[in-house]
Amino acid sequence: MPGRGKLIAVIGDEDTCTGFLLGGIGELNKNRKPNFLVVEKDTSIAEIEETFKSFLARSDIGIILINQFIAEMIRHAIDAHMESIPAVLEIPSKEHPYDASKDSILRRAKGMFSAEDFR
Amino acid sequence: MRVDQQLRLDEQLLLFMDQLEALEEKRQRLNSLIEEGWFSIAKARYSMGNKQVSALQYASEMEPLVYVETSVLEGGTAEFKCERKENETEELKNNTIEDIGAKETGLRKRINTKQKGVKEEEQETDPQVKTKAESSTPEHRDPLKWFGILVPQNLKQAQSSFKEVITLSAEIASLQSTILATRKELQAQMKEKTQPERKKE
Repeated sequence: MPGRGKLIAVIGDEDTCTGFLLGGIGELNKNRKPNFLVVEKDTSIAEIEETFKSFLARSDIGIILINQFIAEMIRHAIDAHMESIPAVLEIPSKEHPYDASKDSILRRAKGMFSAEDFR
Repeated sequence: MRVDQQLRLDEQLLLFMDQLEALEEKRQRLNSLIEEGWFSIAKARYSMGNKQVSALQYASEMEPLVYVETSVLEGGTAEFKCERKENETEELKNNTIEDIGAKETGLRKRINTKQKGVKEEEQETDPQVKTKAESSTPEHRDPLKWFGILVPQNLKQAQSSFKEVITLSAEIASLQSTILATRKELQAQMKEKTQPERKKE
């Protein structure tokens, strides 16, 4: 609904999407594209990237939740995203636990320090 | 002035570290909640059957029950606040109180199936919400209903875990944005600190 706040999108494996949809974030109707993508073994990287970019382009999405292993596949697209809205949050998946060293946001935050700066 | 600068820099650094620590804590909570959710889904799948808990069960039309209010603050940081669609049920209750009468008994059984995504609602007021809900907003269903009328407790537990995850995600998103802004400011201040020194040289 317009003016009621933004949506939360999710790009993840089946269980992740099922969980979040149970939480009530899903939107799916004939006129608009869904705000979630269930990634399966045969989903192409191009499709994932296209969906991610389409979520970024939508003005009604506030947060994008994405499994970290999927984020790794489209790392370049995520690193290129510099705006604060929509926010991209990397979440673990069943086979791949969360790894802070791979998170785009934390890598940006970590990269600032060097020995020179502390002199 | 240099001392001032350095003090500010120190403060910023400490703030940055605090924010990182808060993020770490929230992340751990988020990750464990998500894992709990998956376990509950797996248990529900075990009792209901493989195909009963899958993407095949998704409704063909869904309406979001959670929204996130975004606001951009002065420093460029974005703030996210999670809001659940519970208020509408209250409005409907007031509108439909007079409508119901003889229909109550007939509809009583169907109350729970069409309940909106609010678990705390009292049973007595449900028939009133029901008739209005049926006529105007049949899409407002608890996603739990996609999986059947009688769903195992595990699925409900999964739902509550993920609901908490969603609220926490909004907080983490805000924190991430703040961290990036603090980092930028730190970098700017570091540059400021080194540049006047070079000028002296």
